[in-house]
Amino acid sequence: MADLITTSALTKRFHGLTAVQAVDFHVREGETTGVIGPNGSGKTTLFHLLSGFFPPTAGEIRFCGEPITALPPHRRVALGIARTFQLVSVFSSLTVWENAVLAVLRIQPEGAAPARFFLRSCRHPAVLERCAEALERVGLTAQASLPVAELSYGDKRMLEIGITLALRPRLLLLDEPLAGLSDHEIARVVKLIGEIRRQFTVVIIEHKISKILELVERLSVMNEGRLICEGSPAEVLSDPRVRECYWGKEAPAC
Amino acid sequence: MSSPAPSSAFPVSPAPRGGLVRELALIAAGLVLLSFVIRIHWMADFAVFFILVLSFDLLYGYMGHLSFGHMLYFGAGAYGAALWLVYGNASALIALGVGMAVAAAMAALWGGIVLRTHGASFALINMAFNEIGHFLVQSPLAAYTLGEDGLSCSADPLFGVISLHEDRWAFVFTGSMLLAVYALLRVLTRSPFGILVRSIRENESRVQFLGYDTFRFKWVTFVIASTIAALAGALFTLVQGFVSPRVISPFGNVDVIFAVLIGGAGHLGGALIGAAVFLAIKNFLPVMIPELSRWLDVKLPQWELWLGIVLLVIVFSLRGGIVGTLRARWRKSRAVEAGA
Repeated sequence: MADLITTSALTKRFHGLTAVQAVDFHVREGETTGVIGPNGSGKTTLFHLLSGFFPPTAGEIRFCGEPITALPPHRRVALGIARTFQLVSVFSSLTVWENAVLAVLRIQPEGAAPARFFLRSCRHPAVLERCAEALERVGLTAQASLPVAELSYGDKRMLEIGITLALRPRLLLLDEPLAGLSDHEIARVVKLIGEIRRQFTVVIIEHKISKILELVERLSVMNEGRLICEGSPAEVLSDPRVRECYWGKEAPAC
Repeated sequence: MSSPAPSSAFPVSPAPRGGLVRELALIAAGLVLLSFVIRIHWMADFAVFFILVLSFDLLYGYMGHLSFGHMLYFGAGAYGAALWLVYGNASALIALGVGMAVAAAMAALWGGIVLRTHGASFALINMAFNEIGHFLVQSPLAAYTLGEDGLSCSADPLFGVISLHEDRWAFVFTGSMLLAVYALLRVLTRSPFGILVRSIRENESRVQFLGYDTFRFKWVTFVIASTIAALAGALFTLVQGFVSPRVISPFGNVDVIFAVLIGGAGHLGGALIGAAVFLAIKNFLPVMIPELSRWLDVKLPQWELWLGIVLLVIVFSLRGGIVGTLRARWRKSRAVEAGA
């Protein structure tokens, strides 16, 4: 499988703090990759760099072999990079279906026609049809007309994933999709990720490692801004460097 | 080819037909009724103010960008039309177009600068541009604008028969323009563009991660809002036949902001209701209070105090303005009914 996205010597410094340091990261097309590491290890900063949230201090990012380091977020979405956020990020002042409108029109031919984007009702049957498809996929059809503010946190997370999927990305970046969810909600999201990983290239940041072990083919481990280990879940979890960064140095045997 | 209808289980139905026509008919009926209650001489001024408030609601209510410099574009429209009538020809329609074109060009240029700021910076940088415009018409351009003295101008009758100096025709023309502006804004705000603008108000950064160049859409919104404000300014010139630096004074922004806050920001109907309530307070209280004082034989405070009281009531008890609060209560009652 060819690499979909690669970084070389990717570095991000915030004044005196180096959040990401000389990271060479790659994701193969069609693969599901997990990124794990202790709090503050630089996982979310890596996502921010890949998605264009802020520019790197040094290094390069390539997507399908083309440099994208200087591209703004909307240009990266156009290329096929979409992401969710650590804290659910949906539009609370809009209804559920209105949240889906912008995502479905981003990739629809009718959305590309400026006159239709400006002058056609967003409640046009063709637009509603697309919204219905996007929301059905994440089980939010019944809640479509509700204001997002009235949704549970779990439903907001499903909506966020739903509108990100509606962008039909080539690379989907999920930043702690299970954070803050109940066991029941975690099961829903894990089931959804299990379904979508067959259609998209997915990278997941997650602290609940046990929940994603069955979903990922490869794990990358970050610690103190560096990528310290990559490989299959079994290889990675048995690596002493990984055990050390989570549980500290093992006491020498007596 | 007809579009596929969404699944019957999907709880959002396509937009009902005829909604726009009903709303326009309601506004037209309201204007006609109002013209029987108050002197028709005032109606054109009211329609101009309604248009200005609608334009501000697009910028502030929908996109969340509070500007203290919106009067710059009202003034640009007013002075653009007046200067054309004095130094060009007396065609009302061309004067209208010139006023709007001048303001649109200014908004396109300044928009590229001011939209790189947010929040208080955006409000204040707009006020700074507004102050510059106010100063320019007062002093450096006084040879053309006649400075503080103001500029008198007169347009030929529209189509050779409709004189905008006649109160009735001025009301019909400005009222028609108000309906056209309302129709345009209703279409825009209910389109995907409208959802995009509301999304920018809530979280601009997140919109970029849906693949939209938010700066471009903010710029388009700014230019549309400014051009509509200029239409109001040009209409003011045609109806009044006179402009002075007062039309471009930043102090005028306060009236527009009050009107939008009273009615409810982010709702076209709210903007119109807020503008009507504001005009009622501003125009009728100064007349009613002396009458009431005489009748009660008590000296009542000036009308500005009552405006302040109305605003305090809205700020503390109707945070979404009149329409915003009513809509929130209606939604709440529907939710209670659905839960019962």
